[in-house]
Amino acid sequence: MLYRKAGIFHTDYAADRALFPIPADRWTIGLLLLIAATAPLYMNSLYLSSYLLPWLVWTAATLGLNLILGWAGQFHLGYAAVMGIGAYAAVHAVRTGIPWEIAIVLAGFTAAVIGIGFAFAALRVKGLYLALSTLALQFVMDWTISHVQAISGGTQATLQAPDIRLLGIPITSDAGLYYIALVWCLLVTSFMLNLKRTALGRALVAVREKDYAAAVIGVNSFYFKMVAFATSSFIGGVTGAILIGTFYHAVTPEQFSVDVSIQALAMVIVGGLGSIIGSYFGAAFILLMPGVMNSFISWLANLLGLSLSLETLAHLPQALYGALIIVFLLVEPLGLGKIYNNIRDYLLVWPFGYVKK
Amino acid sequence: MSPVDAAPSPGEGWDFSDDSTLIRLLARNAESFPDRAAMREKSKGIWQEITWSELLDIVLSFAAGLESLGFEPGDTMLVVGDNRPRLYAGMLSAGALKGYAMPAFADATLDEINHFVHEAGARFALAEDQEQVDKMLELRAQGAAIEHIVYDDPRGLATYPQPGLISWDTVQIRGAERLVQDPSLREKLIRRAEPDGPAVFVHSSGSTGKPKGIVLTHRNFLAGVRNAYRGGAFGFDETILAYLPIAWVGDFAVTLGAGMALRFTINVPERQETVLHDLRETAPTFYLAAPRSWDNLLTTIQVRMEDSSRLKKAVYQFFMSSSLAAERRKLDGKQPSLGQKLLAPLGELLVCGPIKDQFGLSRLRGAFTGGEAIGEDTFIFYRALGIKLRQLYGQTESSAYNAIQGPDEVRLHTVGRPLPGVDVRISDAGEILIRSGSVFGGYFKQEEATREALDGEWLHSGDAGYLEPDGHLVVLGRLSDVVHTARGERYIPNYIENRLKFSPYIKDAAVLGRDRDSLAAIVCIDKEAVGLWAELRGISYMSYADLSQKPQVADLVAEAVRHVNGTLPAGQQIRRFVCLHKEFDADDGEITRTRKIRRNVVESRYAPIIDAIYDNRPTVLMKAQVSYETGEVGVIERTLAVQEA
Repeated sequence: MLYRKAGIFHTDYAADRALFPIPADRWTIGLLLLIAATAPLYMNSLYLSSYLLPWLVWTAATLGLNLILGWAGQFHLGYAAVMGIGAYAAVHAVRTGIPWEIAIVLAGFTAAVIGIGFAFAALRVKGLYLALSTLALQFVMDWTISHVQAISGGTQATLQAPDIRLLGIPITSDAGLYYIALVWCLLVTSFMLNLKRTALGRALVAVREKDYAAAVIGVNSFYFKMVAFATSSFIGGVTGAILIGTFYHAVTPEQFSVDVSIQALAMVIVGGLGSIIGSYFGAAFILLMPGVMNSFISWLANLLGLSLSLETLAHLPQALYGALIIVFLLVEPLGLGKIYNNIRDYLLVWPFGYVKK
Repeated sequence: MSPVDAAPSPGEGWDFSDDSTLIRLLARNAESFPDRAAMREKSKGIWQEITWSELLDIVLSFAAGLESLGFEPGDTMLVVGDNRPRLYAGMLSAGALKGYAMPAFADATLDEINHFVHEAGARFALAEDQEQVDKMLELRAQGAAIEHIVYDDPRGLATYPQPGLISWDTVQIRGAERLVQDPSLREKLIRRAEPDGPAVFVHSSGSTGKPKGIVLTHRNFLAGVRNAYRGGAFGFDETILAYLPIAWVGDFAVTLGAGMALRFTINVPERQETVLHDLRETAPTFYLAAPRSWDNLLTTIQVRMEDSSRLKKAVYQFFMSSSLAAERRKLDGKQPSLGQKLLAPLGELLVCGPIKDQFGLSRLRGAFTGGEAIGEDTFIFYRALGIKLRQLYGQTESSAYNAIQGPDEVRLHTVGRPLPGVDVRISDAGEILIRSGSVFGGYFKQEEATREALDGEWLHSGDAGYLEPDGHLVVLGRLSDVVHTARGERYIPNYIENRLKFSPYIKDAAVLGRDRDSLAAIVCIDKEAVGLWAELRGISYMSYADLSQKPQVADLVAEAVRHVNGTLPAGQQIRRFVCLHKEFDADDGEITRTRKIRRNVVESRYAPIIDAIYDNRPTVLMKAQVSYETGEVGVIERTLAVQEA
């Protein structure tokens, strides 16, 4: 209905491979970018720093995990641990006087190195066994962080993160922190968008579909799995560091516990495996829906004049939220991203029923 | 491509003089806009662009190469294949060398081509691919004088041992070498052709006898293009899709005539089968198609709508019916109602816009139908869609442009006003005579036919028609089909019958009136359409014969007849008609297998009806012969009412 495709033609292959050949898509993205860039101007600081900012950071994390799960097709139940490695690496680096810019990159590399080292062992097994061995990464990391005093500063300790400084300028305003998160999220997004049309992206998809079939056509599946783990860990590490720098401002082992890993996994699955727009939806759903549900139930109870017990008020939203996830996955097993694509396809062929080849 | 550089820049444009040639105009385009796209061809997945300067280089080097093969002024090069940039370039090259480029239909049979080749003694052939090369070789084996066969696509031809076979690339390279060795050759080749020299050698359609060869000069085409430009058919810098058969004069007049003069961007589809797809990608601003193509497109849209979901169908029906009703009111000279006006923008957003977009019709400024009459439903559908479909009347002999309709003064039965620069006169015999710079100089080597067709400056079009008081031209049909009434009124039965048949309720009709005082018709209702119409209104009927004699059905048909009468001059209106109690059937010999009416059979078999009509009797008892599929012959007896229209 809204899309217009007449008159779109390409005179070279670069244009033919463009990410967004349809003008309507480009307009939408431009508009969204404008909204995102001007958000601090019209949004109050509570919404900006407690909803929008974590959503962007978690979207980056979801995209990183999606690289392993959605593109390379490998289980990963320890993503929070990877982010934790990055977070601790960055905080320690900054505390020893290394500037934030370098510390963030360092966080990524530390996570990548540990990720590779671990993947080297874990990738000898496949499927559910791989899932279990990544879970082991989570527990090993949890234990190491909390028990090695040099890292965590003690079992119950909270490590204060110094304020972010970029190019020597301290960034403390909500808007400044928000922009850091926005830039990182956009960087990861554009990397993932372009991954689709690189040799690496195609190799990963081949490995996902069937690793020995990929091997038959000359794709070294073990190598590409390692690359996927390394890249994904790098993104996870940096995201962990940014999460601490812009949102938590302090780091404790609980922030990267196994629950958080499961939550990240849920974001990917609810959003849609291998879907970029879905990662945005998934992160928003898992992050914001409990809060929305809470307010909704309280509002409804008020409206109907019901007095719910404190216990019901605490559990009902959780139950509803769980039910919603199930409903969405029943309607479309490929997640929210696929639902979005279905709507888009519907409008693309409007008013006809399907695309005629 | 962007609107900024599409603006015509004065001084760089064509000055509308017909004292030029296509190659000179091409050279001027190459000088003014060397880097702008002249042609695009969908190949290997993308649109490969040829700029104006590249196109000029291709044309000149091919011309130089062709000359080195021995192509001399007056030589003929047969061009056979689908639309390909190189075939177009080859035609320009032949014209630049003062030779005849003779395009032939890609699916032409050997016999047809044989006739062409012998007529002009063609020594050269430009073939698209192996299939066409094989045809040329067979022609040669049958004794044709083709010496050199140049082929565009070398696939499958590498091992052909036959002499005289040469690839386009070789000829072009050879020519390019000549151009390097002799720097003055470029300018000489651009200057060589004269405005009165041949631009192309095409053939008349041949619907009446063998196709006649027609040589059109550069001056003819440029005059035609100028007339059409002044008449508002197209402007500078249009985007077109060159998909029409290259042997049809319309393709040459649009693609190369107007294309060179008004520097169109010429898009060449990948294959005939991908035209619809390529149409969407290129979204042309000017599109000329035969009524049949518009019909086919309409059917495609309707079938795909049928396949759509219920919601989409409902939305489509709602907005389309409002838009169609508004368009019918406009055609009747009334304003659309307020509700229709209010719905129109929403309909454009929800239905018309998306449909136009799906078929690449959204940027159309000039949408034309030509060649024959277009059905009312088809015509109104496209107008309702927001495409200002217009009729164009033209002929091979006058370089395709005679008359067009204005975008907003459209009536179904006229073809619009004659273009500026085209004089139209109606001869005493009712024939349309045309005088214009675009009229040809005579048939190729057929002096008798030339004498018949050309009367001084006036071209006998062979079409019967008349001018309406406000200057709109009405084309009735071929003059050879004209019939006279006793009062001397001229009419073409076929023309009126076709218009009657545009009504969904009328399946067949026979218009009577030869040597009678007034016109009358025998009408066969459409069983499906009228049957459904009757069911919806609770009119019960037993059989076709019963249905045909219902008074309500008579009123329905009378309305359709009156509607047609409204578009006809007074003397040609149908006064009375009879609904026949059976359909015309090829088994009974009333129509041919291709559904063309056999007038003498109808007139003799239904003589009692005809007598009753002209004796002013209200009813007639008719015995009709019916052939059953078993071969038995039965008789249906029925009293038929004669209706006043």
